[in-house]
Amino acid sequence: MDCERVGDEGLRDGMMDVLYGEADAAVRACVEEHLAGCPACREEMARLRALRRDLAAWRLPVARPSFTPRGVVLPRWLAAAALLLLGFGATLGVTGYVSLRHALVAQEARASALERQHREAVQALAAARENRPVALDTAALLASLDARIDERLRANESRQGERLEQRLVDWEERAEAQRRVDMARVAASLSYLDGRHGQQLARTNELMGYVLEASQKR
Amino acid sequence: MGRSDEELVEACQAGEASAFDVLVARWEDRIRGAAFRFLGSEEEARDVAQEAFLKAYRALDGFKGEARFSSWLYQIATNLCRDRLRRRKTRATVSLEALEETGPGMVEMRPGAHERLLERDLAQAVRRAIHALPEEQREVIILKEYQELTFLEIAQALDVPVSTVKTRLYRGLGQLRLRLEREGVRSAAPLPATAP
Repeated sequence: MDCERVGDEGLRDGMMDVLYGEADAAVRACVEEHLAGCPACREEMARLRALRRDLAAWRLPVARPSFTPRGVVLPRWLAAAALLLLGFGATLGVTGYVSLRHALVAQEARASALERQHREAVQALAAARENRPVALDTAALLASLDARIDERLRANESRQGERLEQRLVDWEERAEAQRRVDMARVAASLSYLDGRHGQQLARTNELMGYVLEASQKR
Repeated sequence: MGRSDEELVEACQAGEASAFDVLVARWEDRIRGAAFRFLGSEEEARDVAQEAFLKAYRALDGFKGEARFSSWLYQIATNLCRDRLRRRKTRATVSLEALEETGPGMVEMRPGAHERLLERDLAQAVRRAIHALPEEQREVIILKEYQELTFLEIAQALDVPVSTVKTRLYRGLGQLRLRLEREGVRSAAPLPATAP
């Protein structure tokens, strides 16, 4: 059996208000009065209420972290694993810290010893500098040294020049003496040949002329 | 007692930026939940919620308080979801049906495997039925049934008259009931009529 008020938007809106608890007293009274006398609409309201219960089954994924940022409940095995991992990590961390600490202490000791050595060396250098005699006039000293070196160089050059000149004179004297000896020997040889062959004499004279000419050129 | 949404909005408009953080903390879960029901994807729901708050923050100076802040926020989120659904239809790469099937954690864990299975089946049937509705009916049912907005708030969020909201809701509920009955869902069967 259909409702005689099918298509009545006012009644339908009122039923929606009642269904969702938004009806004021007047609307509620009006709808309830109608429902009391209309089995079709009573059935319709019952179906809608049942439908709303079904719709409530579609819930948000509460187990997903993105929708439950607060108060997430972990499984026990996961919590235990996390604790174990945390403990292992903490042990590693502590061990690492102790090792690092020891290494740092040793490094610090080495650095201190090195620093002490450097400091002592610097102090020794400072003391040596303080005990050094008064500084000389290095510029004057260098100028004097340069002058002495120049003087010696000049003396040396002069000496070398004199020696060279003397050697040249000696060499020329020896060469002249040798030339005279050679000429004397040639003359003696010519006088020996003079008495033997008349034809050879002219030849010998010619040859001697070349020899004399050559010796004079030298 | 904390400040109302409207007071926080005014504070934010006056330069108190931290007031918006309170609004985000207050509404983020619900906006994200609505987006998830519209889109069927947690990832997209997070993006939509984030984008909705960003848009709201940028447009906050223009918010005159003619509607409730929550309605305005739902309006922004609903429009973002519509855009995404349209793009999804255009690209035709991911279907809602496919997304619906990927949700093993959709039902709260309860004692009793059989009960849980029934709940899961029912939840999946409900999701399928709701996502099969026309968009305008689906929006109203999600905002009313799951976000528990008043008719007036829904009307403001969707920018339609209150009577239109009720009409869409009534028709949507009728469609849902038919679909669920077709799937043989237990409670959708008519109950014996009793006097109210």
